[in-house]
Amino acid sequence: MRPRQARLGVILVAASFAWFLAGWATPGAGSPFVFTAGIALYATAPPVVAHAMLAYPDGRVRWWPGRAGLALAYAGAVLVLGLLAAAVFDPAAEGCAQCPRNLLLVDGDSGTYESLNRVGMYLGLACSLLLILLAVAGFIRSAPAGRHLAAPVVAAGCIYLGLVAADYAHSLARGFLGDDPLDRWLWLGQAAALCMLSLGVVWAWVWARRTRSALARFVIELAGSPSVGGLRDVLAAMLHDPSLELAYPLADGRVADARCRAAELNGEVTPIVRGGQQVALLSHQPGLLTEPALAEVAATARLVLENERLQAETLSQLENLHASRLRIVQASDAARRRLGRDLHDGAQQRLVTLALALRLAATRLGPGLDAADAQRIKQAEAELRAALADLRELAQGIFPAMLAEEGLSTAIEALAEAVPVPLTITALPGERFGASVEAAAYFVVAETARQNAAGVLRISAARRDGRLVVEVEGDSAPANITDLEDRVGALGGSVMTVPGPDGRARIRAEIPCES
Amino acid sequence: MRVVIADDEVLLRDGLDRLLTEAGFDVVGKAGTAGELRREVELARPDVAIIDIKMPPTHTDEGLVAAQDIRTSHPDVGVLVLSHYLQSHYAMRLIEHHPGGVGYLLKERVSGVGVLADALTRVHEGECVVDPTIVSRLLHRARNAGPVGQLTEREREVLALMAEGRSNTGICDRLALSPKTVEGHVRNIFMKLGVGESADDHRRVLAVLNYLRSRPQQV
Repeated sequence: MRPRQARLGVILVAASFAWFLAGWATPGAGSPFVFTAGIALYATAPPVVAHAMLAYPDGRVRWWPGRAGLALAYAGAVLVLGLLAAAVFDPAAEGCAQCPRNLLLVDGDSGTYESLNRVGMYLGLACSLLLILLAVAGFIRSAPAGRHLAAPVVAAGCIYLGLVAADYAHSLARGFLGDDPLDRWLWLGQAAALCMLSLGVVWAWVWARRTRSALARFVIELAGSPSVGGLRDVLAAMLHDPSLELAYPLADGRVADARCRAAELNGEVTPIVRGGQQVALLSHQPGLLTEPALAEVAATARLVLENERLQAETLSQLENLHASRLRIVQASDAARRRLGRDLHDGAQQRLVTLALALRLAATRLGPGLDAADAQRIKQAEAELRAALADLRELAQGIFPAMLAEEGLSTAIEALAEAVPVPLTITALPGERFGASVEAAAYFVVAETARQNAAGVLRISAARRDGRLVVEVEGDSAPANITDLEDRVGALGGSVMTVPGPDGRARIRAEIPCES
Repeated sequence: MRVVIADDEVLLRDGLDRLLTEAGFDVVGKAGTAGELRREVELARPDVAIIDIKMPPTHTDEGLVAAQDIRTSHPDVGVLVLSHYLQSHYAMRLIEHHPGGVGYLLKERVSGVGVLADALTRVHEGECVVDPTIVSRLLHRARNAGPVGQLTEREREVLALMAEGRSNTGICDRLALSPKTVEGHVRNIFMKLGVGESADDHRRVLAVLNYLRSRPQQV
């Protein structure tokens, strides 16, 4: 038996012992020792039972009003009704010739004896009612998680104390605790309530054991066939706390559940520590996990905990990888766009200015120019025009300005005017998407058009179920779609080649576009 | 003819100024931003404004927007937009907004004073000017598919000139044909393409360009 149960056990044994002490204060006790113990302690059963009830489940009464109430009740029972009354109680003088000798007798005084009895009974009555109130208040104050275990014990204890109070009230008129028919009925009732209390304690103990073994069984099953996040569900079900959450501290400082979602830990948070390191955090109803239960959870679920923590760690790394992939694509797009713009605003602009200057110079020289020089200038101008055309194509291929400025649909229409293969556009979205999504969709079309030298390409792009679906159908599939796969994959989408009608090939890209 | 030049590149602006002045144009104002351009137009009341499509602050389509504003606020001022973009998209935006007195030329045309002078004159006269390179690309694409491929060589020439925004008289001059012959060609072209003929030259440009742009998409 564990320490906390041992403490409670001692009190419970004391309660059952006290229950029988009442029977010793009778003429048939035989020995004066037994008889004296009987008259000194015959009223101690109620405080000890109340003590057991208030100390449930770990054997300690932590609430100070509870301790004060118990002290008062013990004083009334042991001191007033017991020791003090015994000191002035002379059995022979009270009419009990067969009674053994009262070893505590100092000076027999019938009047004092009666007064002490009366005071003791008033005190007993008041204390019984007070202890009922304290038990109910303590129950309400206790952690919700443990209440269902404490309820039978507290209920039985309160019934018992209620019957005790009734007996005190019944005895007030006659001045001593007697043995008339009503007393006997109340006594039987008290016995029944005590049986209930014992059963309550045993039931809670069995229930906790069963919970623990069921938890162990589930955890072992879970270790055999791990399901992500399964441990949290098992713990929540077994510990009867639907609000329970299980989270793992990750290497990058985040705290996440087994599926690597950011965890929200509300209520009481208990860390599970092993080898000096926090391996998990449990948030739960207050008071659900006290030290021994926690140690059991940590020990039984060790493998599964480790498994889920690694799972969360892996998912987290995967997420970081994904984010970095996306950043790479975005950075590369930004660089391409900047380069395209630099070509446009820089080189192209300069060449135009140069062509203008050349023309001006030629016009100035005008008549002074001989035929050969005029021819050279003409050639230079032709070269400049060719360079401008090359630059324009280069800028367009690096990153079409139209894509960022006017959107995917306009960019694809513009592409159709620029590429040598005829593009048949069957559907284009009327809306704008994120820059990366538009760029990925555009390059799927542009790259396929670049790699298909002949035949007509059919193009469609449309939003479907939160995805931008781009399809390009041509005579043959592009030979190399690795770049496209990288680009679309970084956005969490996919590119695949599927057979189209009439032996044609279709490349299909699906890009998530929910913002 | 009175001209305003808007381009954020000073060298190019000044060069163009000198070239046009030497060619007999009267450059009455120069601007580096869309705001300056609007002010110059308001003050100088030119016949035509030459506008670079890319201007500060975003360098995207400020010039185009300014050109459309000017056409709306000053109907007597023609606009000629210069751009590096070969795609018909921006040209269409301009023409769809105002089919007359507008022009869209590739920027490198500035060094060919003949083309530039021709375009300025036509814009001033209320015609519509579309860069021949843009038209020839559209035409090349369209002839791969459908009725454009069935036109005769001469008819395709006439179609290209119509798409560039020329009137029948202009086409007569370019091809050295009689007005009657040109009218015949035009009628034939519209019949073969299945496009309703429009008496209005401006509407005709739009109809032809739209037809050419949409062609390969309806195969």
